[in-house]
Amino acid sequence: MIIERVLIFFIFITGFIGLISMKNIIKKIIGLNLLTSSVVLLFILEASRIGDEAPIIDNKVQNIVDPIPQALMLTAIVIGVCVTALSLAMAVRLYKTTGSLDIEIIKQRLEDDCE
Amino acid sequence: MIVNNLFLTPLFLPILAASIILIAKSFLSVKARQFCEYFGIIIGLLLPILIVLLLYPFVIHNGSISIIIGSYTPKIGILYKFDSLSLVMIVLTNLLTLPAWIYSRSTNTSHSYFTVLILLQSAIIAGISMTCDIFNLFVCLEVMGLIAYVLIASKNEKNAVFAAFNYMMYSSSSMIFFLLGSFGLYRLVGSLTYQEIAKTLVTLSSKDQNIAMICLILMIVPILIRVAIMPLSGWLVNAHSKAPHAVSAILSGILIKIPLFVLIRLFSISPLMHNLTLVLSYMGSATALIGVILALSQSDAKKLLAYHSISQIGYIVTSWSLALHHGIETTLGSVLLIAALFHAFSHAIFKGLLFLSIGTATDAAGSRDVYKIRGVNQRLYNKGEKYPLTMICFFIGALSIMAIPPFNGFFSKSLLTYYIKPSINYTILSIASIGTIASFIKLSKIFLPSKEIEKPIKELNTSKFPFSIHLSLIILAALSLLTGIFAKEIFNLLERMFISTNIKPIKYSIFFSKTNVLKTLYTGLGGILLFVIATSKYGSKILHKLRMVKNDFIDQYVAYAITLALFFWVLIV
Repeated sequence: MIIERVLIFFIFITGFIGLISMKNIIKKIIGLNLLTSSVVLLFILEASRIGDEAPIIDNKVQNIVDPIPQALMLTAIVIGVCVTALSLAMAVRLYKTTGSLDIEIIKQRLEDDCE
Repeated sequence: MIVNNLFLTPLFLPILAASIILIAKSFLSVKARQFCEYFGIIIGLLLPILIVLLLYPFVIHNGSISIIIGSYTPKIGILYKFDSLSLVMIVLTNLLTLPAWIYSRSTNTSHSYFTVLILLQSAIIAGISMTCDIFNLFVCLEVMGLIAYVLIASKNEKNAVFAAFNYMMYSSSSMIFFLLGSFGLYRLVGSLTYQEIAKTLVTLSSKDQNIAMICLILMIVPILIRVAIMPLSGWLVNAHSKAPHAVSAILSGILIKIPLFVLIRLFSISPLMHNLTLVLSYMGSATALIGVILALSQSDAKKLLAYHSISQIGYIVTSWSLALHHGIETTLGSVLLIAALFHAFSHAIFKGLLFLSIGTATDAAGSRDVYKIRGVNQRLYNKGEKYPLTMICFFIGALSIMAIPPFNGFFSKSLLTYYIKPSINYTILSIASIGTIASFIKLSKIFLPSKEIEKPIKELNTSKFPFSIHLSLIILAALSLLTGIFAKEIFNLLERMFISTNIKPIKYSIFFSKTNVLKTLYTGLGGILLFVIATSKYGSKILHKLRMVKNDFIDQYVAYAITLALFFWVLIV
């Protein structure tokens, strides 16, 4: 169990560093995605502590995983997709208007336009 | 059962209206489309207000009504609870969205999408105000955020897209910490509703309680980002000032307050959260003061208003957290809560009014620089405005935010400051209100007449001023005046909602008592003096330096980390 948690933590840190320190906005969006995925994995891992079988009520309910985190994560994934889609759309708009994906250059060019 | 389901109508009616509008847009003719839009606004925004107000006696009688969506068993279904707080939030949202929508009719870009978005917004806010489930709260907050990003970016301006992108990255990444927090709580407690969590938390060992505190802090800070309390408010200024005017009004008026009142429920989970309230009240007062200083230094008219939103939210946070500090069941606590709610209400009205009137003025002037624009009235006249309504409405809003009677700002600010009186918060807020007056004197200079603009020849002046702008401004100005005149009645209503016993603790004599009138007078004089100092050579140098301070993308995360660390320190060490 501990090794999975360490790995998930690494995914989380990778995503966070990508979000904060990358200049390229597409890489920032990928970082955000990694962050969401790591939390989703954590929930699923936690749900599997108490069982192994999928929570489908067939003829016997035995040894199943906790179904609630799975249901929650389905929603969280959908929200993650929405955020990704919207942020990519904004990245396209920014690229079209400024001709760059670098956040510093975008900021610079937008300020130049204002003055 | 039927009555219980009526409480869900503020959630379902706007969604129904939004779908009607979308269907009409795809299949019907232009005329039918327009009809559907008006119809949608009536059933999606006006009807919920009516229903909620009709249910008011029911709420007073029963306290709160629990509803489980879809009539599932309590363990599986999502629990919603309608109480007086939800009622106030729903009325505030729908009442303020309406003038913003009317205003948006004057700019003819993609009407129906805007209408659909604000309808969904009001549905989601109804959901937020009623939900008792942590994960449902997460979903609602994320959807509210998504709609806000789209609304900000909806103007065809590059800066708006960039501001929305910045806000989105910051807010979405912080919401992941919210998810982590709810994960921790679920692991400890095995339930997601507030009541169950509160019940189980008390039985846990002190080590587990500390973990629960960490989880709760992880959940509270992302919500405080939406509220834009001071170190966490880096995203707000650009987002609010670059958005279209109607959207700015909605963002400043509604979206920064709803999360704050939801926090009351999160704070009720554990009695240990009580230690945090005093820190929050100091943060609120500091926000009020720093916000107003930064507002005074701005040259962009809409940025100035955005900083004022931060400053005013500081007032609300101060009163709100002191209410929690005393306990919302006690008399003093509930009066402070009423003061916070009423100030939130009147701020929503006058800030909406200010954003819309300043937006109209800067559009007419073609610039937003407070130092350069002069003679807005003449320009508006040239555009076809016969009477200087925009100016009058701006001054009503400005007098209201300066807390001059008889407008609503006077009553809400007097009440708020009276009940926090012998404390350091009171001193800080009093200084902040001097700054408010100075910065609005500065802003109102754009209406000074100017000699450069010539009058157009009468025959050529055929342009017509859009009626919808005037209508929205008049509605907001009237609301501002009426809620001021009928303040006593509104306090009465709120008292009946939030105080269960029959006593009426708010004394109406405090408003026109000698001390309060003198205080208003002194604040006004202080404001004029501060304005004179600020326009002097030395003062304007300092303000220029403040204006040039920039905040980076990373700075926001630093502020985030600092706030988290502070809260951990207060609660656990």
